[in-house]
Amino acid sequence: MTEKFSFKKGHRARAAFLIFDYAFIVLLCVCMLVPLLKVLVDSVDPTSHGIQLWPKQIDFSAYKMILGKSSLYQPLWVSIYTTILATVIGLTMVTLAGYVVLQREMPGHKFIVSSIMLTMMFSGGLIPTYITIKTMGLMNNVFTVILPASISAYNIILMKSFFEGIPGTLYEAAELDGASPMGIFARIVLPLSKPALASIGLFIAVGMWNQYMNFVLYITDANKKNFQVKVRDLILNDGLSGSIELSEELLKNAMVVIVVFPFLVIYPFLQKYFVKGVTLGAVKG
Amino acid sequence: MKRTKEQKEQKLILSNKDKPLLKRMYKYRYMYFMYLPVFLIFLVFNYIPMVGILISFTKYTPFTKVPQWVGLQNFKQLFVSDIFWRSVKNTLIISSVNIVLSITTCVGLALLIDEIKTVWFRKVVQSILYIPHFISWVVVASIFTMILSPQEGFINGILQAFGQDPIYFLADSDWWRVCLWIIERWKGIGWGTIIYIAALTAVDGALHEAATIDGANRVQRIWHITLPSIAPTILVVFIMDIAKILNIFEPVWVLQNDAVLAVSDVIGTYVYRIGITNAQYGVSAAAGLFKSVISVVLVTIVNNASRKIKGEGILS
Repeated sequence: MTEKFSFKKGHRARAAFLIFDYAFIVLLCVCMLVPLLKVLVDSVDPTSHGIQLWPKQIDFSAYKMILGKSSLYQPLWVSIYTTILATVIGLTMVTLAGYVVLQREMPGHKFIVSSIMLTMMFSGGLIPTYITIKTMGLMNNVFTVILPASISAYNIILMKSFFEGIPGTLYEAAELDGASPMGIFARIVLPLSKPALASIGLFIAVGMWNQYMNFVLYITDANKKNFQVKVRDLILNDGLSGSIELSEELLKNAMVVIVVFPFLVIYPFLQKYFVKGVTLGAVKG
Repeated sequence: MKRTKEQKEQKLILSNKDKPLLKRMYKYRYMYFMYLPVFLIFLVFNYIPMVGILISFTKYTPFTKVPQWVGLQNFKQLFVSDIFWRSVKNTLIISSVNIVLSITTCVGLALLIDEIKTVWFRKVVQSILYIPHFISWVVVASIFTMILSPQEGFINGILQAFGQDPIYFLADSDWWRVCLWIIERWKGIGWGTIIYIAALTAVDGALHEAATIDGANRVQRIWHITLPSIAPTILVVFIMDIAKILNIFEPVWVLQNDAVLAVSDVIGTYVYRIGITNAQYGVSAAAGLFKSVISVVLVTIVNNASRKIKGEGILS
């Protein structure tokens, strides 16, 4: 149903609509980008304020300071290693659990499925979880933050529904050849699941990178706080003792840039995996 | 003769189920080890805290060595508290407006994007619109605190250019919720369209052609064909949103300040303030339990409703 764009009679309403449509969407994109552009400009131009959207001077001193100052460097490092750990652990766990859920004839299958669904339906809530973690002596342990962020019932279901899309004949053929469930997992399921692994892995990574609340609750040791917490502290004006030389605005903006822009650089290459992850989940719904 | 052979084969297949339990378990022995670590994580971070809900029936502060059983007293204290009911009211107002705005804007934008047939333009636009979804709430709050700042902020810069007085948006009770809703849209509008765009590509083109031949114009076709085709998707999203209606926490938490507590305090932030800041563990756990129970009831109702409308539940 391709149509010609023209202002001839009978096409006018359509042409007007298309102009409105394109213009509206461009405007919306501008609204998405202006806040980010503003942050970028304000991070390199100490004099920038108000509606200024272009730097009059370029000054990287805020970045130099952040990367040179260990109290700001350490949280960045924490963010990086927790993200890597969470992704590796999460992908391992989610694929294992997703494959186990697939085994309908396995004794105990029902119990396993309900043990996963229960975590989706009900939770202990903030205080009972906090008290339990505290009582078990898990405070200030990075794994207290990493493990819950790396595995979720939703991701297990996502993984399982992807596994289900693998043709059943492949399993049967392998079974006839005498492969064990583990053999099938390693030699057939995993190699075919790369797209799903990419999608889910990226979701876990972004989730961990953006983790904030659990660091506030369970980590009191300043050396184990991540970058998000540091950004927040800075915005609330109690994270920056002894850095008078630079304006606070400049530093705040530079920190936001550091936490957001690395992702923006790699994001265009990864976008299709994120979208696939969402549509994969939607098939089930 | 042939029949018995078939029966035999069927028996052979069935025999897999008739094998003794241990033998069947042996076949899957590695599977149990595969699930064990996941189960342990759930045990520590999900199941044991569920047992911890018992705290809500006790008097428990950081100084009590042995929690003292007080029955329903925490709940009584909660249900006579104006602050608690204020947080329930705020939660419902903030979340329900969020849900309505989210569905209308995302469906509308998905329809507009779907009309765009220039492939490269569409790809670029979608990439840009999805970006804010990946920025954490902490950072989003930081960005908008600066943008909405009364002294140097971008928005007040525009207001001043038009000769208006600056407004301290995030500390003004009249503006705070509006700001939250708009920021929520900034972050979520693009990402929310993905699911509808996927649904729109699945709409049967033959239906549109048939309707065009019958003389239906574009608006009529959107109303009578496109929207009904994506209605199941809208319903699923709506149901999922309803199930989470009481859970709103992080966006409110990071944008809140004491000046606007009266309009911004939701159940989540109330639980946090009473529990973590004031260390009244019992009352806070009771409020949390109230929220969880209502949520489970909502999920069940909604799941049954979806079973009736769609013929299948969202869960299971």
